[in-house]
Amino acid sequence: MAQHTPLYIIASQHPRVGKTLVARLLIEYFRLSGRPIVGYDLDPREPALASHFPSFVCPVDIADTRGQMALFDRLVADDWRTTVLDIGYGLFDQFFTVLPEIGFEQEAARRGIVPIVLFITDAAPTTARRYAELQKRLPRTIFVPVHNEATAFMFIQRLSADTAGMRRHPHPAAVADRARRHRPARFLVRDLSRQAAWRTDRGPYLDRHHFFGVSRAGIAAAHRRARILAARLRRSIRRTPQQSGLAPPGLIASIRSL
Amino acid sequence: MAKPALILVGADKGGVGKTTVARTLLDYFTAHHVPTRAFDSESPRGTLKRFHGDAADIVDATSVSDQMRIIDTLSTTDSTVTIVDVRAGLLSPTLRSLRDIGFLDAVKKGQITFVVFHILGSSIASLNEIEETAPFVTDAKYFLVKNFINNTSFFEWDQATHSSYFKKLKDAVAITIPKLNEMAYEQVELASVPFLTFVANKNQKAEAANYSFVLRGYVRHWLGNVWAEYDRVKLLDIFDASTNVQAARPQTAAGGSANRP
Repeated sequence: MAQHTPLYIIASQHPRVGKTLVARLLIEYFRLSGRPIVGYDLDPREPALASHFPSFVCPVDIADTRGQMALFDRLVADDWRTTVLDIGYGLFDQFFTVLPEIGFEQEAARRGIVPIVLFITDAAPTTARRYAELQKRLPRTIFVPVHNEATAFMFIQRLSADTAGMRRHPHPAAVADRARRHRPARFLVRDLSRQAAWRTDRGPYLDRHHFFGVSRAGIAAAHRRARILAARLRRSIRRTPQQSGLAPPGLIASIRSL
Repeated sequence: MAKPALILVGADKGGVGKTTVARTLLDYFTAHHVPTRAFDSESPRGTLKRFHGDAADIVDATSVSDQMRIIDTLSTTDSTVTIVDVRAGLLSPTLRSLRDIGFLDAVKKGQITFVVFHILGSSIASLNEIEETAPFVTDAKYFLVKNFINNTSFFEWDQATHSSYFKKLKDAVAITIPKLNEMAYEQVELASVPFLTFVANKNQKAEAANYSFVLRGYVRHWLGNVWAEYDRVKLLDIFDASTNVQAARPQTAAGGSANRP
């Protein structure tokens, strides 16, 4: 059977929705699984992912042609190892404009590279529309919506703040306070901790060490976050390719192992 | 045998992209299996010749012997289409010469297909060329080419000026050449190969090259848009060869042409 190499593209058209967190989780997972991996951080202003993994994540600015060559020429050449792209929201439009223009999907198909867009959803009204547009524009690419409950909360909070004068979306003052004090990822942990489902998940990589943190407490917290997100990703990814019928058998096997 | 056809690609102003358009035409006809030859009138060193060494010859359009070399062989050559990349400043004189030798009369009688691609610059002087050229192209297929490859504007912001030039000739058809990424354009210049060869990642000797995938992608996309313009104006239908060409141009399942770059 032909070899299929996944290319994970983590994208969102809004900031602070958890793109880099998902990218970090994927990279850590593949790294601990011993799979050859390379990453690219497409946020030239805040290359957070590259700063976490300086040895195998390269910061790239695709705002100009030289940067596009640095990224896409390497992507098509790297058809043997898993690749993770973290697309900064500022270059979201640029990335998804260049991709079809240079015929990336066709070349990827020729080389056995399977692009999978992990699209971080949010509550903004344009997001669903944008998701549908991209699916139409890139018919050979697999799209997986990633729901980050914490950011959904943040958007509701933001929406409430915007319309506070109109008293349309009143919410307790404690909620706003919580939004100020905690990072979105921690909201995710707290929000999901009320659900029973996540407790049943026992991923093998949870026993590994050297994950994210500097302290034991930090590592434990990061593991909890990783487990929850990975479980959600697994569910989304398993469902979507089979439903769409776009994924080749090799890919399904590949992403099931996630 | 198909009726011979002559295509002049020219402008009196320099640097407006005449050779670029001639190159896209050569690629277009090559891809559609239309036998084509070309002449580059940038004597003694031709730019078109640098890219299409096999198909193009350098001529001096002002010399009678070279005019004979082009015109007298139109009906005897194996090529259905002859493209002449006219050097800057020589479009009007060349058209006058064609009138003087009776070529335009032959066109009027339907013995020869004559097509003019008039490449326009963004200056009033360039647009004024339309008026000078008009008397010679009454029986020709006349295309006004707006070349946006240099980020040019054609007075669209001033509709009165724009209309006074582009709507004056009712038989003239406007063609738009979109902008090509600068680095991609320069890389093809360096490679000195036809656009199609560049897209196919081949060098001058038809060996595998190592051009950037991104730049090839930009050229492919741009060339596709240029050819879409040629399809829009039904360029192939102008030539008798079109009947043969259609048979050699199968449609893909998606309805597009299999000859896309």
